Amino acid sequence: MTEVFVNMGEISSSKNQGILTTVGLGSCVGVALYDPQVKVGVMGHIFLPQSRPNDPQAPPGKYADTGIPAMIEEAVRLGASRSRLHAKLAGGANLFPNLSMSSTSIGQQNINAVVEHLKKHGIPVVSQDVAGSHGRKMRFFVENGVVTVTAIGKDPVEI
Amino acid sequence: MKEARLDFLRELANIGTGHATTALSQMLNGRLFQLVVPDAQMLPFTEAAEYMGGAEQVVVGIFIVISGDVKGHMAFLQPLESALVLLRLLTGIEQPELDELGRSALQELGNIMVTSYLNALSTMTNLLMVPSVPGLAIDMAGAVWESVLAGAQVTDEVTVIRTRFSADGEDIEGHILFLPDHEDFEKVARLFGLGEL
Amino acid sequence: MAKTVLITDDTAFMRMTLRNVIEKNGYQVVGEASDGEEAVALYQELQPDMVTMDITMPKMDGITAIKEIMKIDPKARIIVCSAMGQKPMVLEALSAGAKDFLVKPFDAERVVESLRKIGS
Repeated sequence: MTEVFVNMGEISSSKNQGILTTVGLGSCVGVALYDPQVKVGVMGHIFLPQSRPNDPQAPPGKYADTGIPAMIEEAVRLGASRSRLHAKLAGGANLFPNLSMSSTSIGQQNINAVVEHLKKHGIPVVSQDVAGSHGRKMRFFVENGVVTVTAIGKDPVEI
Repeated sequence: MKEARLDFLRELANIGTGHATTALSQMLNGRLFQLVVPDAQMLPFTEAAEYMGGAEQVVVGIFIVISGDVKGHMAFLQPLESALVLLRLLTGIEQPELDELGRSALQELGNIMVTSYLNALSTMTNLLMVPSVPGLAIDMAGAVWESVLAGAQVTDEVTVIRTRFSADGEDIEGHILFLPDHEDFEKVARLFGLGEL
Repeated sequence: MAKTVLITDDTAFMRMTLRNVIEKNGYQVVGEASDGEEAVALYQELQPDMVTMDITMPKMDGITAIKEIMKIDPKARIIVCSAMGQKPMVLEALSAGAKDFLVKPFDAERVVESLRKIGS
């Protein structure tokens, strides 16, 4: 079974089999899109909510506003149907809670942005393990759509 | 352009880490503490977590916001093993625990490290650089790195200064990220006679 | 001779370290504060002979705490113990009323020297 690692800002996909994994989700949000009928899975690792003019070469998966549409396109390319797609989320934590650099932490801003863009495209979020103050590892099993989330010192949780 | 910027940051790193290491060795009360010349690298930000030994490796990270004449952020990251060595040397406890006191000691170590670094730069430039109360995270390298980068709003490359220490026969590693806001970095560069970087 | 000390630092480890140094040298630690707000409250309650004060703290920073304590007691003996040793900060602390400024990390002798000097 092939395991593909999805780095910050990347988008990877698979059909029928394989594991899409992203390690070290801090303030970033890991998004797993799945069409259970055709077993198409796409994973993204979103870094910030909005793309910016001073980073024109950025891969679309880096920002929520460009990443979500890009992920949907990729799913459709592999044969998924928009109406059947659902999403599972992990991450968006605040690892330095006592710093409070802005009223809403970057992690929470990412969660809000991802949810907003998914909603805009009519994709429901069926489960999530987000916020808090710890890092997460997310594994997406494309064969059955199962997503497990692990944090240091905690048992893996299926979402 | 990039080389000049890197060289300049290396220069700042030499001064800053020298000062910080003196402070650190003082805290460790006369333990032999040598600094191996810091090595500065410019990394595409996606590689940063791998730089320290893999995104899943546990690291200790201190993160502060800088205010004053130079605004920005600063972080000091260490693989957990290195942090535990420092903790052992600092507390005299053979197997130090990461309980509240242990975390507090690590926080203080990191705080003195980054503040001494800023003090050195401040003396050189006559610019005020005020550190905030530090944040401490002990977690997967990937998670800590991206939280630091997102917090500092760094979207492209990041300059990492890798420093290696030797204390009491043990090898310790530490990584410093000095992340001034763009305009303020220019301010500092100009003071050194360097034009637009 | 001044004997009682209130320790202020946001790090438990530093409070513990200072306490050890201070008590080993014949002084009595009557209280510990973890931020400036607590320091001001404890000063009023405990009326210590001397205070050690960190600068970078949550809720209320050290400079503000110094000013507040000086309002309560213009004769307060406050010794700053902070990693932040940049000149404008040192000057601000001293003009706010602090009697001495120790830059972290400091050795035990330096702390004791300051306590003796300020306490007499």
